[in-house]
Amino acid sequence: MSSMRDRMNRLRGESTKVDIVAEETNIEFKSLAEPDQAEHPDRLSPGWAAFGVELATNETGSFLRRVTRYPMDYRHGLHALQELYAAAPGLAAFHPSEQSAAEQILFLDLETTGLGVGAGNVPFMVGIGYMSKGHFVIEQTLIRHPAEERAMLMYLAEKLQQFSFLSTYNGKTFDWPLVESRFIMNGLGRKMWEPKHLDFLHPARSIWRNTLVSCKLSHVEEERLGIERVDDVPGSLAPQLYFQYLADGNPAPLEGVFKHNETDMLSLASLAIRFGHLLNGNIEAYIPLPDEPEEMVRTGLWLERMGRKELPSQLFDLFMSIQHSKPSTLVKLAARDKKAGNWGRAVLLWQKAIIHSPTHFGPAAHEASIELAMYYEHKLKNYDSALSYVNTAFEHALHQSSLFRADTKRKAELEALRNRIARLRRKALKTI
Amino acid sequence: MIKKKTLSEIIQELRGNENIINWTEIEPQEAKAKPIPESVDPRIRSALANRGIEQLYTHQYTAYETIRKGENIVAVTPTASGKTMCYNLPVLQAIAEDDSSRALYLFPTKALAQDQKSELNEIISEMGIDIKSFTYDGDTSPAIRTIVRNVGHIVITNPDMLHSAILPHHTKWVSLFSNLKYIVIDELHTYRGVFGSHVANVIRRLKRICHFYGSNPLFICTSATIANPKELAEQLTGSPMRLIDDNGAPRGRKHFVFYNPPIVNKPLNIRKSATVEVNHLARDFLTNKIQTIIFARSRVRVEIILSHIQELVKNEIGTKSIRGYRGGYLPNQRREIEKGLRNGDILGVVSTNALELGVDIGQLQVCIMTGYPGSVASTWQQAGRAGRRHGEALILMVASNTPIDQYIVQNPEYFFDRSPESARINPENLLILVDHVRCAAYELPFKKDEPFGLLEITDILEYLTEERVLTHAGDTFYWANLAFPASEVSLRSAAQENVVIIDQTEAANVKIIGEMDRFSAMTLLHDEAIYLHEGVQHQVEKLDWEHKKAYVRKVDVEYYTDANLAVKLKVLATDRTENKRSSAIHYGDVVVNAMPTLFKKIRLSSFENIGYGPINLPEEELHTSATWIELKEIDPAIETKTQEQLLLGIANVLKHIVPIHVMCDRSDIHVVSQIRAEHTQLPTIFIYDHYPGGIGLAEDVYKRFDEVKEAARKLIRKCPCEDGCPSCIGTEIEGLNVKLMSVQLLSQL
Repeated sequence: MSSMRDRMNRLRGESTKVDIVAEETNIEFKSLAEPDQAEHPDRLSPGWAAFGVELATNETGSFLRRVTRYPMDYRHGLHALQELYAAAPGLAAFHPSEQSAAEQILFLDLETTGLGVGAGNVPFMVGIGYMSKGHFVIEQTLIRHPAEERAMLMYLAEKLQQFSFLSTYNGKTFDWPLVESRFIMNGLGRKMWEPKHLDFLHPARSIWRNTLVSCKLSHVEEERLGIERVDDVPGSLAPQLYFQYLADGNPAPLEGVFKHNETDMLSLASLAIRFGHLLNGNIEAYIPLPDEPEEMVRTGLWLERMGRKELPSQLFDLFMSIQHSKPSTLVKLAARDKKAGNWGRAVLLWQKAIIHSPTHFGPAAHEASIELAMYYEHKLKNYDSALSYVNTAFEHALHQSSLFRADTKRKAELEALRNRIARLRRKALKTI
Repeated sequence: MIKKKTLSEIIQELRGNENIINWTEIEPQEAKAKPIPESVDPRIRSALANRGIEQLYTHQYTAYETIRKGENIVAVTPTASGKTMCYNLPVLQAIAEDDSSRALYLFPTKALAQDQKSELNEIISEMGIDIKSFTYDGDTSPAIRTIVRNVGHIVITNPDMLHSAILPHHTKWVSLFSNLKYIVIDELHTYRGVFGSHVANVIRRLKRICHFYGSNPLFICTSATIANPKELAEQLTGSPMRLIDDNGAPRGRKHFVFYNPPIVNKPLNIRKSATVEVNHLARDFLTNKIQTIIFARSRVRVEIILSHIQELVKNEIGTKSIRGYRGGYLPNQRREIEKGLRNGDILGVVSTNALELGVDIGQLQVCIMTGYPGSVASTWQQAGRAGRRHGEALILMVASNTPIDQYIVQNPEYFFDRSPESARINPENLLILVDHVRCAAYELPFKKDEPFGLLEITDILEYLTEERVLTHAGDTFYWANLAFPASEVSLRSAAQENVVIIDQTEAANVKIIGEMDRFSAMTLLHDEAIYLHEGVQHQVEKLDWEHKKAYVRKVDVEYYTDANLAVKLKVLATDRTENKRSSAIHYGDVVVNAMPTLFKKIRLSSFENIGYGPINLPEEELHTSATWIELKEIDPAIETKTQEQLLLGIANVLKHIVPIHVMCDRSDIHVVSQIRAEHTQLPTIFIYDHYPGGIGLAEDVYKRFDEVKEAARKLIRKCPCEDGCPSCIGTEIEGLNVKLMSVQLLSQL
């Protein structure tokens, strides 16, 4: 045991038991299994070849690389990779006034040593995927130690320039800022590539927020892309496996990380296909119609936000034909209709929202009552009907506040209802 | 209605008060000024002219010219002498000349940073130059953060934020670090002890990052008066400094008055409580609508005084206009109090040394200190709160029964002639250093043989590699760990986890009302403790030590609580020894085990003990540095029991003397006596740093023990009591000449 550790343990008041454990791991640690590596960076230990990893070098140094080529007819879950050609133009909706083609998209996913985008979080593996010469190519680079990072980034930097779209899952906040940070850390400059981002986490959240328990990629792909992972190493385990490799030099456990990252890349492509089809308006032709009413509405609303205003009517009509929908979904579409001036359907949706609410009340029914009251008051000038809606809302709100502690928000709500009732009564009196 | 008395009238009345034992008048000083240098941009010049500034005070002038020459400076200036100009002028000038210039301002607290931003933005708007200055702290919204990073010319923050948010994410701050011209460190003197030792390491990290981006900023420091501003600034920044202390600001007349409460128990030499006297003195000022600040040493004392004064003046002025102020209040509460003081809504404030710092509370007329604040520097800082700008001001120091208070008020020359204390830091404390090497390695890899500051740290890098925190490849050590190290390191306190205080008086409205460091919580938030918050008594119903939560409920009782701490000491290694004829002094490593044992309930009105209870908390262990003095020969005629009491008495005196000689808080250094030390069985007095690994205080005592010893002897001899009292050695021992024996024993050490 080093004297430094001895001193540190004493200062921290740690018992000597800890030291014994530490010493055992230390023995293991010292038997670094890739002893050659420092002296012969161009030599690759044989364990890597077992899963197709090769040595790559450039003028800056060396790193490892695995290239996997998938034929176009390869099916990953519901979709075949070649669908990307048809789907890709739709993705231009992410960046209006741009054209997008399958060959321009670079898919990217990192495996990192830590969390967040702090300066000490190192992407030890960079996975990229792209269409090339009739194949979907997945290139995964790995560094055997941090000193190889610069060479790997140089390689990546060169590769990036060939593409104009960057497709990720949460890459806007994580993967891409981290890559940019690594460029800076390695003295490779800032803003060396300014891609048009396609971050699929955002549409995934817009559409599945309430229908899926989680919007994690592994969950989305299982529930919506028909992908089933077998013996997957969870991404959260990747850092530990890599640290273990740094300590013992044994490549074998990293095969699982390569596999996991590769699947992520394929799933990214599948998501691109799905969202591309959606944006192209090819909803029934290539992808199944959503089963859940909530998803239909949310998909429609997302398409509208993406500038595909003509597309959702089919989804909304389908939604209207469903007998039982959640009141919260009904008022969501109603709000959209109100904005669009589609009053007929909006009124219908609000009425449905009240009817479908248990005991005819809840937050959605409350909203619907008030919206209907406003509609009757301002559009139809029918103050009596308006009053009856507000009164119901008020009674329920009052009942509600007697059950729960009245916070300021609730108090303000009740106050607003009282005012509305008073105003409607005045108006009703005048018209008599 | 009775006419209100003016401050001058009250001062006249006070002159006849028999309890006043020293009255020193500090003469007003005329301004010393020089013309604004030619090089200053005309836009800045006209903005200054708009505020009536046509000239610079001498220290401001020298600061500006020295910085322009490319030297780091530390400017020592008393409160309200226009110190901000010392850094704002060169910084604004640099940005006016080159828009790409950047500056980083560090303030010890968020509140000071907010103040500075308002002041700075006022001047900038008058200048008509597009200079963007922002605060960057925990309250800054994410949207603003991006703007601050990319376009902020002046980023105003605190060391904690720099440590945990800025440095670990330096790649987002490229424009700041690439163009950083100036680093401003205000309130330099606050960076001492553990906090200062941490900050010195944060600055080592900051300089490393600047170097990486190719900038080489100058440091501009400002400090209150301390003995070693240049040394401290150089230690903290690792850069050579030019000292600027030619203060040219004008000053009004100040009356500095020492007030010693009358003796109420002659044989025991017990004086009337300082707290009670302060309450009555304060009432006089407050009821005459004279804005007054009252300082007290502890949080508990603040609350006690606050509730008493509120009670005393409740018929004449609203209790809302008398407020408390201390750490543990929530920030918005503090902001509200500061504002109230500035605009006059609040007439009086009772504060801990939290208001010693430059928080802007405007000009107060009277400052009352409940007891000696503990250091000459701190006393001047607190005194500076009165009469910052206008004419006459009164500063009253009311002595308590403690030995040092009595010593100070009875030897006024000690205070007035003495140069203030030195501020000490120990950036090399191993625990602190290793913490920051971890953080630094996270930020940028370390080349083998790369120094940290000027320090050779290969052994630490190797240790961290063994611990699998770093990995070694080629000639470089890289971070290789899942953790985010900055979040595991707190700059402020030895105990990293604070105890949260939860008020559950109303079942429907359970709320957090404050927090407290772990060590203080052991003695202040144990089960059944009476905890005072804003003058309101709360009883601790349950201290959940494991989850660091204290559940309290409002109560109204006639007592407060005071906890006892049992301490065990073991020597681990002796580094230095000096043998004397019949004693020896050593310096080395010790392990201290502390455990709170019981608490007493003390009646508020009479301070008598009215009950007690046990405290059940786990033992805390501390490895630290200590100086200890052992007696190798003892007069066999003295009984063991007497010896024990003599040692206790001397320890009591040292407890008070040592902190003023090494400039630290009383809680930073502890004194413990043992009749038979575990390792030698000899009578021994231990003086140890209350921080793991030590921060250099005990070492300082070792070096200067003769000086400390002399002060202790003088204190005992000069004490007017007959034979021992709480103001010196503690208690009297029946029929013995204890004072003489103590002095003899001290001479033997």
